[in-house]
Amino acid sequence: MIVPMAHILAFSAALFIMGLSCVLARRNLIMILIGVEIMLNAVGLTLVGASALWHSVDGQIFVIFLMAMTSAEVAISLAMVVYLSRRRGTITANDFDGMKG
Amino acid sequence: MNASLLFLIPLLPLACGAANALFGLRLPRAVAVSLAVFGAAGSALLTFVLWPLAAGEGTTVTLYTWLESGALQVPVELLFDRLSAPMALMVTSVSTLIHLYAVGYMKDEEDYARFFALLNLFVFAMLTIVLSNNLLLLFLGWEGVGFCSYALIGYWYKETKNADAGRKAFLVTRVGDVFLGVALLWLFSLFGTLSISAVNAEASQLPAATVTAIALLLLGGACGKSAQLPLMTWLPDAMAGPTPVSALIHAATMVTAGVYLLCRLFPLVSLSETALAAIAVVGAATALYAATCALAQREIKRVLAYSTMSQVGYMFLAVGAGSVSAAMFHLLTHAFFKALLFMAAGCVIHLAGGENDIHAMGGLKKRSPLLFWLFLAGALCLAGAPLSGGFFSKDGILLAAFAHQTPLFNVLWGIGVFTAFLTALYTFRLLYLVFAGAPRKDLHGHPLPPSMIWPLLPLALLGLGGGLLNLPGLIGGSSLLHHFLGPLAGKAPEVSHGVEWGLWGLATALFAAGVLVARARYRHFKPGREGAIKRFFLGGWQADCIVAALILRPFAAVADFFWKGTDDALINGVLDGLAGVFQGAGERLRTLTTGRLSNYLMAMAWGTVIFLGWFLLRTLIP
Repeated sequence: MIVPMAHILAFSAALFIMGLSCVLARRNLIMILIGVEIMLNAVGLTLVGASALWHSVDGQIFVIFLMAMTSAEVAISLAMVVYLSRRRGTITANDFDGMKG
Repeated sequence: MNASLLFLIPLLPLACGAANALFGLRLPRAVAVSLAVFGAAGSALLTFVLWPLAAGEGTTVTLYTWLESGALQVPVELLFDRLSAPMALMVTSVSTLIHLYAVGYMKDEEDYARFFALLNLFVFAMLTIVLSNNLLLLFLGWEGVGFCSYALIGYWYKETKNADAGRKAFLVTRVGDVFLGVALLWLFSLFGTLSISAVNAEASQLPAATVTAIALLLLGGACGKSAQLPLMTWLPDAMAGPTPVSALIHAATMVTAGVYLLCRLFPLVSLSETALAAIAVVGAATALYAATCALAQREIKRVLAYSTMSQVGYMFLAVGAGSVSAAMFHLLTHAFFKALLFMAAGCVIHLAGGENDIHAMGGLKKRSPLLFWLFLAGALCLAGAPLSGGFFSKDGILLAAFAHQTPLFNVLWGIGVFTAFLTALYTFRLLYLVFAGAPRKDLHGHPLPPSMIWPLLPLALLGLGGGLLNLPGLIGGSSLLHHFLGPLAGKAPEVSHGVEWGLWGLATALFAAGVLVARARYRHFKPGREGAIKRFFLGGWQADCIVAALILRPFAAVADFFWKGTDDALINGVLDGLAGVFQGAGERLRTLTTGRLSNYLMAMAWGTVIFLGWFLLRTLIP
């Protein structure tokens, strides 16, 4: 293995924390979704790395699933963002508190 | 003679009553009324015709088995013997006359079908008590008369007062019925049967304490039905019913059912000296109590109600003294003359135009001399005028009490004698206030229909001549009833002729004294203010207040406590408190759901951090 596993884990952890920070810090729905994508990619990277480490194909199969799911998720969530923006004229996350108890 | 015909005696009134209940208002009035009279008269006739069946051991006849469950066998079985036959004849004949009277009395009532149906139903239930050879069947009749009494007292139910009186009678007698019910269950568990003949035959095998307890329970049941102390408060109020009802149920028949029950089970009851003493004490105390109350009453029917209570007390005294024949003798003569007095009182009220306050009456003798003479006949019997029926029967009781030479019975005899004086006094007070002198108030009465007067005549003759039923040997009689009852009669008092003459002299003197005192005080009566003692007696020794203070108010307080203290405060309080706690917690938790995406995401991130931290901790600290 050319790249050591520790590097892969450190990189994907950094990527994950960046994605998480984006999700937590930004108020724009699109930016939150981008953050989610980054977190998902960090996880995917870990999976591929682990697959290479253990010489097992399971991790790579899982990443394929992950990509399929991500594309579906992006399609749906972007459609919802467009819908919300048309309907309410805003895509700031804190303006939507219809679930308040 | 077919013994099964005996069943027709109770079933005839039942059939006529049912017919009246179902179709009474559709039938022409004359038909409905005749049907009711026929129900009573037919059964009286049957009793008379079937009289020979009572000879010897009597006749037992079974119709069918009513209940059969394991050891419990309740056949519908009648016992027509020397005790039940005279009672049945009295019940049917007196009720026939009262039905006839009621035809005139209820002339203007619209709702006659209900009245006559209930009256017939009452006769049926009373005959069930009298004839039944099974205690459970007897209990059925016992409750039946209670129901009819309730429904008839409240006949004019549109006035709350009347409906309340009916309810009171029902509930107070129900207290006694509980005792009777317990006694029946106990007897069944002891003997495995409820047949009266079997219970009487096997009673002597029981331990003394059990007999005493059962006899006292029976006494409790009898007290309720017969309005004896302490369950007597319902009878004066029961006068709210129509007069024929008072005459039939609350004078002649139902109130004597308690006496009859004790006589019926006398072989059992007499095994316990304690129970007999208790019966005698209750009887004498009630006799005195009711006589003092009767002295002060102002409503004519309440005077008679208290006097009924007092006379039934005498009957209890006779049973307690061990003389069934004296009790039955007084029961029969009392039925005649008290029914007479009540119906005459109904006529008096009719003549006085609905007025029933005797202070407002007076001078009615001029209005209807015939009524006066009839009332006088009843009054003489009640007061115990020498040679009237009441004289012999009451004297038999006092003699039976006197024959017991124990200190207790000496006292009870003294009470009985004093009560005899009071009886003469209040009877003639009533007579003088109603009939003597000049009218104290302008009363516009109605003329009396003949059917209200003529039924009184046979009763007057029966009452005055009632002594012939059981004329003592002292004046050449043959103690007919005593010998007829045979082994059922209880023990005959054994006293010398001299003592017997002495007692008669005393009774005569007391009667005369009572009449003279009444004459002196009430012949020219002016209504005035009533003193405290009089008001005390008028209120029946404030018995209602005592009952209210001792039972009703504590009961209400306990009920109040259980309602407000236990149910409202404790149970509801705990549940409401719990619900409140959860609601408050929910309110506080609610604020966590802000509905903002960023808060949720933050919570999720912190959760992840905590999880990871936890795993880290587990790894670092093994």
